[in-house]
Amino acid sequence: MKKKQRLKIRIIIMSVLVLLLLLLTTGAGWFAPNDPYATSAAAIRTAPCTEYPFGTDNLGRCVCSRVLYGGRTTIAATFFLVAVSFGIGTFIGMLCGYFGGALDRILMRIADIVLAFPQMVVAIAVAGILGGGLSGAMVALGITMWVSFARLARSHTFVLKNEAFIKAALFAGKSHIYILCVHILPNLLAPVLTNALTQIGTTMIGLSGLSFLGLGVVPPVTEWGSMISEARAYIQIAPWAVLFPALATIMTIILFNYLGDVIMDYREV
Amino acid sequence: MIQKALKRAAGFVVILLILSLCVFALLYAAPGDPAEKRLTAQGVAVTKEVLDAERERLGLLKPFFVRYGEWLFSVIRGDFGVSFKDDMPVGPKLFQGLKNTLILTVSSLALSLVLSFVLSVFSVLRKDKITDHLVRVLSFISNALPNFLISVLLMYLLCIRWKLFPVIAKGDLQGLFMPVISLSIPMTGRFIRQMRAEFLNQMSQDYVTGMRARGVKMRYIMFNVIRNALGHIFTIVALQIGTLMGGSVVIETIFRWPGIGKLVMDSITARDYPVIMGFVIIMGSIYVIINQISDLLGHALDPRGAEE
Amino acid sequence: MQEREAILTIRDLSAAYEDTAVLCDVDLEVKKGEVLCIVGESGSGKSTLIRTICADPQITVTGGEICYQETKLTGMNKRERQKMLGTRIGMIQQNPWGAFNPIRRIDVQFKETFQSHGICFDPEKCKDIFSVLGLKDAGKILKMRPYELSGGMSQRIAIAAAFALEPELLLCDEITSALDVTTAMAVTDQLLELKETLGTTIVPVTHNLGMAKCIADRIAIMYRGRIVECEETDEILRCPKHEYTKRLLQDVPRLKVV
Repeated sequence: MKKKQRLKIRIIIMSVLVLLLLLLTTGAGWFAPNDPYATSAAAIRTAPCTEYPFGTDNLGRCVCSRVLYGGRTTIAATFFLVAVSFGIGTFIGMLCGYFGGALDRILMRIADIVLAFPQMVVAIAVAGILGGGLSGAMVALGITMWVSFARLARSHTFVLKNEAFIKAALFAGKSHIYILCVHILPNLLAPVLTNALTQIGTTMIGLSGLSFLGLGVVPPVTEWGSMISEARAYIQIAPWAVLFPALATIMTIILFNYLGDVIMDYREV
Repeated sequence: MIQKALKRAAGFVVILLILSLCVFALLYAAPGDPAEKRLTAQGVAVTKEVLDAERERLGLLKPFFVRYGEWLFSVIRGDFGVSFKDDMPVGPKLFQGLKNTLILTVSSLALSLVLSFVLSVFSVLRKDKITDHLVRVLSFISNALPNFLISVLLMYLLCIRWKLFPVIAKGDLQGLFMPVISLSIPMTGRFIRQMRAEFLNQMSQDYVTGMRARGVKMRYIMFNVIRNALGHIFTIVALQIGTLMGGSVVIETIFRWPGIGKLVMDSITARDYPVIMGFVIIMGSIYVIINQISDLLGHALDPRGAEE
Repeated sequence: MQEREAILTIRDLSAAYEDTAVLCDVDLEVKKGEVLCIVGESGSGKSTLIRTICADPQITVTGGEICYQETKLTGMNKRERQKMLGTRIGMIQQNPWGAFNPIRRIDVQFKETFQSHGICFDPEKCKDIFSVLGLKDAGKILKMRPYELSGGMSQRIAIAAAFALEPELLLCDEITSALDVTTAMAVTDQLLELKETLGTTIVPVTHNLGMAKCIADRIAIMYRGRIVECEETDEILRCPKHEYTKRLLQDVPRLKVV
């Protein structure tokens, strides 16, 4: 019990930190000290100072503001992608698990085939072909992401389907849609959501990797991966333009990964 | 036995056909015109007639399935078609790149495996002691590091701050060091986490209790634990190959390592379709083959449940 | 029965799995050469008690001590404990597949066991023990892997391994539950014979009071992590003191109270 209590406290702390991070980035408009897009010829590659807490980049843009705005892009894109894969995957998984039969066989065969592809290789090729842009990168990663959700949802639905209360609902004349929405969905939400949480870190790594390669966001939109990629060229002169977005990326990924880990542990205890 | 092998081979071919067809269709439907790219790159003024002539020459005007069929045939021939960029056969370029990529990825994989194996065994033996905690924290952090970030940070520290290595890698051993480290760090983190979990899972099995109760020496127990974990470890490694391939594209681009990943990144901007297709099909086959092998190895190592 | 020296003394022992306390203030003395049966229902902590004696790393001792003759087992270093387990204190688990690695050959595992104690592996001796336990074709069995064997066979091989090391104290955790009645009887007889010939002290754990009555010199009743009563077999059957023991006796209708 003590262990559970300890994990609970950790979850609360991590959740608060995540909320703080979300607040900081969604509220970038209020917190950012400067305009992230305003270039300034007078302040090119300024070292961190009071006006520019994280310094400025090659065009004299405030790195701090760009990190905040960039976080918004990265986090929003990640959340959106995970949420869509979660939705599609869970939906497919539930249908497969509940109805079974030919539908299940066909969809799961597709899932097997998708799983047999090397994910990042496909993502790079697809993002490259779609010609850059955030939506392209998201499609490229999403192609393979729904599978894990579908499999998880399917296996849980499979177990749930044979529970007595589902049978009872069927005998009571409830429709399949009603049973799926009211009885099955709420019961498989916890494990599938936990999976979603653990996917956030990986997705963020994937997205910022694609942006770094120039296959993600298109400048001038700020994003951590592309900021690092841009500033890499003049890292000798202005290391802060790389280090701060790098630090932000690492911290965010660690935060989400840790939250996912702790919640997994909590559910296991 | 032969039937099983045939079934696997058929599955392999089907997966690759589907993969290539998907990417081919995507290339077909995607925006961007290779003919136009090529002409602009050559500095030719793009007019409607010139463009159409170029398209005709590159075979872009043929129907979809004819083009796919021609491409498939070129794969069977082994030349993977002709580059849109310089009219050279793509095959030799791809295989030259693949050779370099394999040097890079195989050495990173070897390094990661050795490191993670030693560290996770160490961590399991000292469970809940300081060393274990240290290994866990380090593996957790390195698992969270995207490899492009590691390479940028390493470059900054080692090449610029401490001036230990040249900034641009050459194809020699010294040039191999930084890319290999950048690829290995996150992979090692991932391997340690998974191996440690599997070793602990094996340690909690009843047979370990039984062996302890018989007073079997720790080194024999550890040997049994590792032996039983091997099947699972092969699966973990095989699944990581995909991530490793993606990572090598990033790393090759950063360090200008002349591998297949850098080749494909150069080709993406030029819309050099045969190179992109060749990349996907070669990486896809390697990935699928490795996963099949690990599957077979898993069955050989743990014959339980193999009778189905 | 004359007073014999104690081979195992447990004083005020408390133990827990992670945060859940399982044993509290257990006091027990096992005398040399006797058969002391620990009886209790599932979850009463009897298996945990045995595992604690064998220092299962999942269990933490939160108080008290266990002494083997003069040596203190609790807080002993790993190396000494490893030497002690097997040759002096043997244990057989309830799970028939629990003794051996399921996917390695049995002879290899026997060899590892003997080598750990610096004893030379002698297949002939193993075959003798195997045949005593009703395992035919010992040579073939030694070449097999546990997952290929039935539960009963695995259990007998586990028992054989424990016997082969000739421990002075043998702890048996419900060892007959995976066996059919005939084999169970044979195994039990074998246990008793071991006691006669080598003077091995045996501590069987069971929920079956009937069986305990047949083989035990003394019986300890365990209930909710405590030893509530520990008496001579006849004594406990004739006039049980604790409420729980009385209930237990009523639940065994076939038992003819002497």
